[in-house]
Amino acid sequence: MVRVPMDQQPSSRPPAGPGDAYVIIAYLLSGMVVWGGAGWLLDHWLDTGFFTLIGLVIGAAASVYLVYVRYGRQ
Amino acid sequence: MEGTLNVVGYGLSAIGPGIGVGLIFAAYINGTARQPEARGILQPIAFLGFALAEALALFGLVLAFIL
Amino acid sequence: MRTLALLSTEGEGFNPPGAEDFELPPLFTIAGFEVTKVTLLVFVSVVLIGAFFYLAARRGALVPGRLQFAGEGAYSFVRNQVGRDIIGSEDFKKFVPFLVTLFFFILVNNVFGIVPFLQFPTMSHIGYPAALAAISFFVYNTVGIRRHGFVNYFKAAMFPPGVPKPVYVILSPIELMTILFTRPLTLAMRLFANMFAGHLLLLVFILGGEYMLHSGGFAAILSPFAFGFGIVLTFFELLVQVLQAYIFTLLSSLYIAGALAEEH
Repeated sequence: MVRVPMDQQPSSRPPAGPGDAYVIIAYLLSGMVVWGGAGWLLDHWLDTGFFTLIGLVIGAAASVYLVYVRYGRQ
Repeated sequence: MEGTLNVVGYGLSAIGPGIGVGLIFAAYINGTARQPEARGILQPIAFLGFALAEALALFGLVLAFIL
Repeated sequence: MRTLALLSTEGEGFNPPGAEDFELPPLFTIAGFEVTKVTLLVFVSVVLIGAFFYLAARRGALVPGRLQFAGEGAYSFVRNQVGRDIIGSEDFKKFVPFLVTLFFFILVNNVFGIVPFLQFPTMSHIGYPAALAAISFFVYNTVGIRRHGFVNYFKAAMFPPGVPKPVYVILSPIELMTILFTRPLTLAMRLFANMFAGHLLLLVFILGGEYMLHSGGFAAILSPFAFGFGIVLTFFELLVQVLQAYIFTLLSSLYIAGALAEEH
């Protein structure tokens, strides 16, 4: 049984181009909107003021990690 | 002159990420020019750095709208 | 029409062009439906593209003449660079008509923004990019659901491999929102904002230059610089218009490729 090394296997993802930059911006934006929105809803429900910012920061960190998972690994 | 201070703040805060993204891709182009075989290895690092720098710019944009 | 209004209200100060300059009055009415210059431009663009490709493909000679060569070059650019290289050589042929139509429709409508006498990019009305983004959204989701089944498509998109289990709670809503909302939204907004801003820039410099010319004195001497920069911006606008058409088509094809090949 011959094992083909990882970098000689046919890659199934499309080649990277200028479009990937916009996809990354879309990931970052939607991460911030989703968790910032969740934080804002929590603020609206509990009548506080700071959950929106916490949600925005968590969303930004989560979406950067998501970009790393999708684009930052070999 | 009308307008809000939010957008002025966003404009000023976009200087940093702009320079940062430029530096990242300058390094990527440099590395690929010196050794074209390194392109596949440098590409994920370039995308990760771009995401980190762009996150700050998008932070400024979102905060300019909601505050 | 805008320049005539400007000439008749001299001494009132410069009215900077704004969003109201994008609302064009209706030219005529057909069966209660108001036809504006924008609607007419869209129909003209469809006729132009259809006529170009029909005439280019009519002869079908093995050694192409000039028109056939131009048509073949334009068609194969989208087919190869955007279709085959992104989607892959097995599945791309079904999507080539969609991608070619998308690219040339957006390109011709964008370039109408700098053609003399027409000078209005129809994509600066939000309805047109929104409709195109909705079509793209429908296409890539239907393709993904048909290939993988409804549950598997969303499961493969929302749960990327190689992530520790508790982190999935935070990542999955982001992925879901990206597929359903952010992708079509950013497609439409990118095209709309670029065309809107470009047209507004051109309006500012040309109308500002004309105002400076008519207000006499020192400003009239400096007005050729405003017109000159307007000309420079026109060429820059051409670059932005072609680029935005290419990016819209490239991203549509990228989303289709991502929906087809969900195994990572």
